[in-house]
Amino acid sequence: MAMKILLVDDSPISRKMLKSCFPKDATFEFHEAGDGLDGCEKFREIGPDITFLDLTMPVMDGVQALEHMKKHCRDAVIIVATADIQTGSIEKVMGLGAFMVLKKPPTKESVRSALLKVGEYREAHHG
Amino acid sequence: MDNESLLVADEERDILQELMNIAFGKAAAELAEVISIFVVLSVPSIKVLKAAQLPEYLQEEIRDFADISIVEQNFWGRFKGSAFLVFPAGAGKALISLLDPEHEATFESGTFEVLEKETLMEVGNILIGACVGKMSELLGDVVTYSPPKVVVENEPRGIIPKNLFDPEYTAIVMRTVFRFEERDVRGFLFLVTTHDSIVWLKKALAAFIEHYE
Repeated sequence: MAMKILLVDDSPISRKMLKSCFPKDATFEFHEAGDGLDGCEKFREIGPDITFLDLTMPVMDGVQALEHMKKHCRDAVIIVATADIQTGSIEKVMGLGAFMVLKKPPTKESVRSALLKVGEYREAHHG
Repeated sequence: MDNESLLVADEERDILQELMNIAFGKAAAELAEVISIFVVLSVPSIKVLKAAQLPEYLQEEIRDFADISIVEQNFWGRFKGSAFLVFPAGAGKALISLLDPEHEATFESGTFEVLEKETLMEVGNILIGACVGKMSELLGDVVTYSPPKVVVENEPRGIIPKNLFDPEYTAIVMRTVFRFEERDVRGFLFLVTTHDSIVWLKKALAAFIEHYE
């Protein structure tokens, strides 16, 4: 079964870049949202296996969206994909329950490594 | 160079916006490492203008600031242009304590003004250098910089040089707004590319996105 991936980012180019970095040897079902509010709605609607969430967005930013998503589903795997790599920002989102931070621009290697980490985590926690 | 080749497509604007987002994120992280500060970022914007419209555009953007301090630095490589870091008056004073806590209480006239200018120059150097450096790295270029020029507390009118570029030329303006959380200081960074780097820039943007096709 295809893994459901939700990409939340206001930049269409950024979503395109991230999507292109996913391994071609696996099947993914992609869903996209252009701001945090839209992201939260799609998150509740589709129940993604992994959410990739930008931080700097209009309407609702990524920090607020992360709080909403974690409130809705405590076990949700949310990877913050951001250009904001200040230690303060990373600590903040990790404190709010982000699974990890993926630094922009994404690469095939960084995305593959993030997916591996999620796989290992799921294996360890859910068998 | 005909006008047709200087038109900037929507996708090129989107790529530039994302590159500016990445580059300023890196710059903010570098500044946060040097001084104990948290920079609140916002979504950058991209404008394509005739160079003649530049002073008016920049003044309109910073209309909320009565007086401003500005750090200006030129950069050149194949990616070529000018960077303007604009703060409201008083920002330098608010930032001094972050860069040099020992001098926070020193209000001797003269010394303090020098300190304020040096603080703005240091913050400008880090933010402009890291942002332009990351942009050019992502675009496959290396740039060199002129020494930063600082003007402390002046009226915005006339501070942006009218004769920066030939008025008939096209300029791309990349703008980001940020806020230093601890000092509640807002600022703008404008990167303005020169006319003659636009054709190269379009090719570099295409080459950048090709990695993601």
